[in-house]
Amino acid sequence: MRDATGSAEPPLVRVRDLKMFFPVHTGVLRRHTGDVKAVDGVSFDIMEGETLGLVGESGCGKSTVGRALLRLCEITGGSVTIGGVDVATLSPAELRKARPLMQMVFQDPQASLNPRMTVAAIIGEPLDEHTTLSRDEKLARIYELMDAVGLNRRFASHYPHEFSGGQRQRIGIARALALNPKFIVCDEPIAALDVSIQAQVVNLLEDLQDRLGLTYLFISHDLSMVRHIADRVAVMYLGQIAELSPREALYAEPLHPYAKALLSAVPEPDPDREATRKRIILKGDVPSPANPPKGCNFCTRCPEAQERCHSTAPRLSEVAPGRFVACHRVTESAGATGATMANEHNQMGENE
Amino acid sequence: MLTFVIRRLLLAIPTLLLISLVIFLLVDLAPGSPMSEIPRTVPPEVRERMMQAMGANEPVVVRYLLWLRQFFLVEPAYVIDSLMGTNLAGGAQRVLSWQSRMPVFDIIAQRLPQTLTVIGSAYLVGVLIALPIGIYSAYRQYSWFDQLGTFVTMVGSSVPTFFTGVLLIIVFSVNLGWFPSIYDTTLEVTDWASFKMQIMQMALPVTMLALHNATEISRYMRSSMLENLGQDYVRTARAKGMSERVVVLKHVLRNSLIPVVTVIALGIPTIFGGAIIAEQVFKVNGLGTALIGAINASDLPTVQTLTFIFAVLIVFFNLVADILYGILDPRIRYD
Amino acid sequence: MNFRTALLGTTAAATAFIGLAPAAHAQRAADGNVKILYFQAVSVMNPYMSSGTKDVHGSSLVIEPLAGFDEKGGLVPRLVTEIPSVENGGISKDLTTITWKLTPGLKWSDGTPVTADDAVFTYEYCTNADMGCSQAARFQGIKTVEATDPQTIKITFTTPKPNPFSAFVGAASPVLQRAQFKDCVGAAAQTCTEQNTKPVGTGPFTVTDFKVNDVVQLAANANYRDPAKPAFATVTLKGGGDARASARAVMETGEFDYAWNTQINPEFQAQLAAGGKGELISAFSNNVERIELNLTDPSPDLPEGERSQIKNPHPILSDVRVRRALSMAMDRQLLVDVGYGAAGKPTCNVIPAPEIYASPNTNCHVQDIEGAKALLEEAGWTDSNGDGIRDKDGKKLSLLFQTSVNAVRQDFQALVKGWWTQIGVETELKAIEPSVFFGGDPGTPDTYQRFYAEAQLDTLDYDGTDPEAYLGQYVCANVPGPGNGWRGTNINRLCDPAYEKLLADLSKTADLNERAKIIISMNDLLTKDGYVSIPLVDRARLSAKSKTLGGVVLNAWDSELWNASDWYRIK
Repeated sequence: MRDATGSAEPPLVRVRDLKMFFPVHTGVLRRHTGDVKAVDGVSFDIMEGETLGLVGESGCGKSTVGRALLRLCEITGGSVTIGGVDVATLSPAELRKARPLMQMVFQDPQASLNPRMTVAAIIGEPLDEHTTLSRDEKLARIYELMDAVGLNRRFASHYPHEFSGGQRQRIGIARALALNPKFIVCDEPIAALDVSIQAQVVNLLEDLQDRLGLTYLFISHDLSMVRHIADRVAVMYLGQIAELSPREALYAEPLHPYAKALLSAVPEPDPDREATRKRIILKGDVPSPANPPKGCNFCTRCPEAQERCHSTAPRLSEVAPGRFVACHRVTESAGATGATMANEHNQMGENE
Repeated sequence: MLTFVIRRLLLAIPTLLLISLVIFLLVDLAPGSPMSEIPRTVPPEVRERMMQAMGANEPVVVRYLLWLRQFFLVEPAYVIDSLMGTNLAGGAQRVLSWQSRMPVFDIIAQRLPQTLTVIGSAYLVGVLIALPIGIYSAYRQYSWFDQLGTFVTMVGSSVPTFFTGVLLIIVFSVNLGWFPSIYDTTLEVTDWASFKMQIMQMALPVTMLALHNATEISRYMRSSMLENLGQDYVRTARAKGMSERVVVLKHVLRNSLIPVVTVIALGIPTIFGGAIIAEQVFKVNGLGTALIGAINASDLPTVQTLTFIFAVLIVFFNLVADILYGILDPRIRYD
Repeated sequence: MNFRTALLGTTAAATAFIGLAPAAHAQRAADGNVKILYFQAVSVMNPYMSSGTKDVHGSSLVIEPLAGFDEKGGLVPRLVTEIPSVENGGISKDLTTITWKLTPGLKWSDGTPVTADDAVFTYEYCTNADMGCSQAARFQGIKTVEATDPQTIKITFTTPKPNPFSAFVGAASPVLQRAQFKDCVGAAAQTCTEQNTKPVGTGPFTVTDFKVNDVVQLAANANYRDPAKPAFATVTLKGGGDARASARAVMETGEFDYAWNTQINPEFQAQLAAGGKGELISAFSNNVERIELNLTDPSPDLPEGERSQIKNPHPILSDVRVRRALSMAMDRQLLVDVGYGAAGKPTCNVIPAPEIYASPNTNCHVQDIEGAKALLEEAGWTDSNGDGIRDKDGKKLSLLFQTSVNAVRQDFQALVKGWWTQIGVETELKAIEPSVFFGGDPGTPDTYQRFYAEAQLDTLDYDGTDPEAYLGQYVCANVPGPGNGWRGTNINRLCDPAYEKLLADLSKTADLNERAKIIISMNDLLTKDGYVSIPLVDRARLSAKSKTLGGVVLNAWDSELWNASDWYRIK
């Protein structure tokens, strides 16, 4: 497939079989009795300049993937390579040196900003740590960043609580940009904002991507917003990727039953199509990640589940060019080549 | 901020007046008489005349108004007189202790130094050991250090000070003979030798009280740290590539200290209140023993004056705590 | 030779004496510092301002009376040449005057001479009505106090006074210096802080620093009459803590040389003695722990104002046989062993000392449960319904027994209840906060004066050695009641004409042996004949002294620090 797009560039971000387990201790002696499998074998690549959308219900593990990528928590297994550096195995000191490369924009702009630091201090702190700029140079850089995210320079000495939610998220973005990162994980950056502000922030992110050539992992449960910003979209269910497809293809024709159900909930802007939209209502609850079902993770709620789904876990396989699905039914009907993410590291974005 | 402070101070006046009246009535209604310490061989008519000379058998209203006058007019006048050399007081009677016939403020002046030295340094030492323990316990939650800290603080706060005090005396004074068990209030620190003596005699009471104070404050510190360690801005700081030291000591600690500083400020009046048990056990004879002695002797002017001053201090340090909160936490503004 | 030359002569003699004093002899201020611990701290150094024991003792280091008591209760001259008596002419034959002669050459600590005028002033000072003098009772019955010459004090009484040794005798009645206290007369006495805390005196020490209720620092008086004394240069008189801790400070840690009133239980006494640094010393006087019985009815069924009043005799305790039975049930030696150890001995008297006044009554020392039972049977109290409690005419033999909150007293209460239960007397116990019980507030029903109970355990000692004033309490006129604001001292409500007749005789008798006879009869009327009081334990003063402190003679009749001028360091 690399040949198909004619690009020889390696992906900026390469994730293979990422696992994040949180141990469960029970009883008087607090013995280790099991794990919450928040992320269980996730693999994907993100090309430079690309935006990968990551969607799923609350608790499906998408935020954990974002944190694990930046190693804000210690991962249980798998590898994460960003810009050729294996983030998963860096020592703490090496990791800190690698931080400027990758940054994160957090969901709650209020909580993610230290309430006792001014805007200038928040944006400038990484500069203290990672650069040798003089004070004036730092201030210039802070102003530049504030300009870039559309914040008035006058507010540099104000505290986070004095700003609106949208402005705070701009501060968060400016802070993330301070060290010229290549890769930014946007962890539901608009979920806590008013709808009117959401578009502004997303447009800002897009604008910055164009200007600075940034690569995004855009985590969201807002499918419309993901459709707006992402180039490709990964749908997660219970710690695993159910489907990973180019945006247009996914939204036009989701393949995985879960993706179908999820996308059926998105209102259509076209009234004609909206009128014919059929919602698929899933029955039951998401199983506990501490005790996932045998076989396919989704088999307990899948409207199309077969016997096989209850016994064997499907693998994420390419069923059409650039489209990866983890579903026995889809792979069978597509007569899949059997190529899976696990052994073929060459899936590509359609626009490359 | 200034208007806030002024408004609070003005509000404090009626509050304190009411408190003073309530204290006065409570102390007055409490059973017991200033004559209870007087031997029973003293005949009733002599007792009667002694009560009269002290003004103890006036009606309660008269005594309260007299106390108000003495406390708010006469005593400040004496202070001004002694500072400026004026004669505002004109020989008016000050608040006199029934027990010793000494002006209560002179008693306080005699007692304050040892109370501040011993109880104050115990508080300081307590805070200084509590903060690192609290910080490290939270940072390494459920580690053996944290578990040990939890155990020690539980023991520390549940074992009464009169027990730990006597235990310390038996071990370190009686058996080992390292430290004196009786505090010498007449010791003046003039050179190294007397300074060493002072440290020696402070060792046991300060240890006892510092441990007691530390248990409480370290728990506050720990829980506040834990709350902040889980905050998003900590993750932000880590994502920025800050070192662990900066993350914990700059981001987490500074935010966690806000409530702890308030707790510490609110605890300061207890220094002035003295630690009755510690002072009693080690014979520090500070304000705590002055109060308990006065209560036992039904020395109403002393009890009233001391408790009222404590009330003023509590109101004042509440205000200080609020102001500190405003200064430390930019989210809080008093306007 | 006029007075001035006489004075010069004595001064010269004194100077010569200093010069001649052998070097081996004790020397003033040679033994450094002595540390004394009073767990009740000294509040004021003027006993006329406070009659608290600690204050009287503390001030006795500085100011002195004309005469004091020794450890046997005998009078010793302090500022006078000899003790006045009828024989030496010091006391007039009609017993209305007593004349004291000051020791020549006596000086105040500020160097000025002590004169008879200072005693006159002291009398005026304490008898001023606005002053609230706590020792006013010592000057009662005095018509005049005159200085007939600078060395002679003549006290004239309104009526013949068989025992004139009250004013200016004992640590509670010292002589003050007129020059220092002249502006402290009347209401002004209250505000004389400087004078009340640092009096000028004649005693072996003077106050150098006074921290109220904390510590008094004293230094040897340069003008003390005995040039070789005191041996100690300074005294630290510290307060605070409790009896246990102060005993420990002397006997275990050795931080102090002397601790006052170390009343600790016998078990702890033994433990401390093993410490090896000090010893407990005790001295007996007239302090008797006793059960007072109420001869009137305290029943709550009576209207307020009639409870515990003479017109309602007690339905049970009016019978002397019941009272006697209650006394017979006591095992006094056990009480001593449990509560006091070395600091107590069994007694059957309310006047146990001095020896001359003590009734030779020891028949109560052996417990007699069976005898008590028999006596109750005889009195008509039988257990008719077999519930273990005696009754008579449908009324149960049930008593309320109260005391102040105090570990030893409450132990005693429990023991006594056990014995009384054995003889079929139901006993209900009650313990009252001491400040309330002894507070004398006429508004509270729980004072010892109200005595709203059948029995109460307490103690009462009296000043000096002569019990006349003490025995004078048990007269009809002194019954506490609403009429006198519950302020009488006859708390047993004894109204016995025979007793009052003896009291009248006593007030007219001056001869010591005659007095002793009357006093013993009165004591017996209260105890072995009348059983108004049930004496239990003769309590000693118990103090602790370091083994390096010499010259201590514990004195229970006067200030414990009475002979501090003789104390020295054992090297």
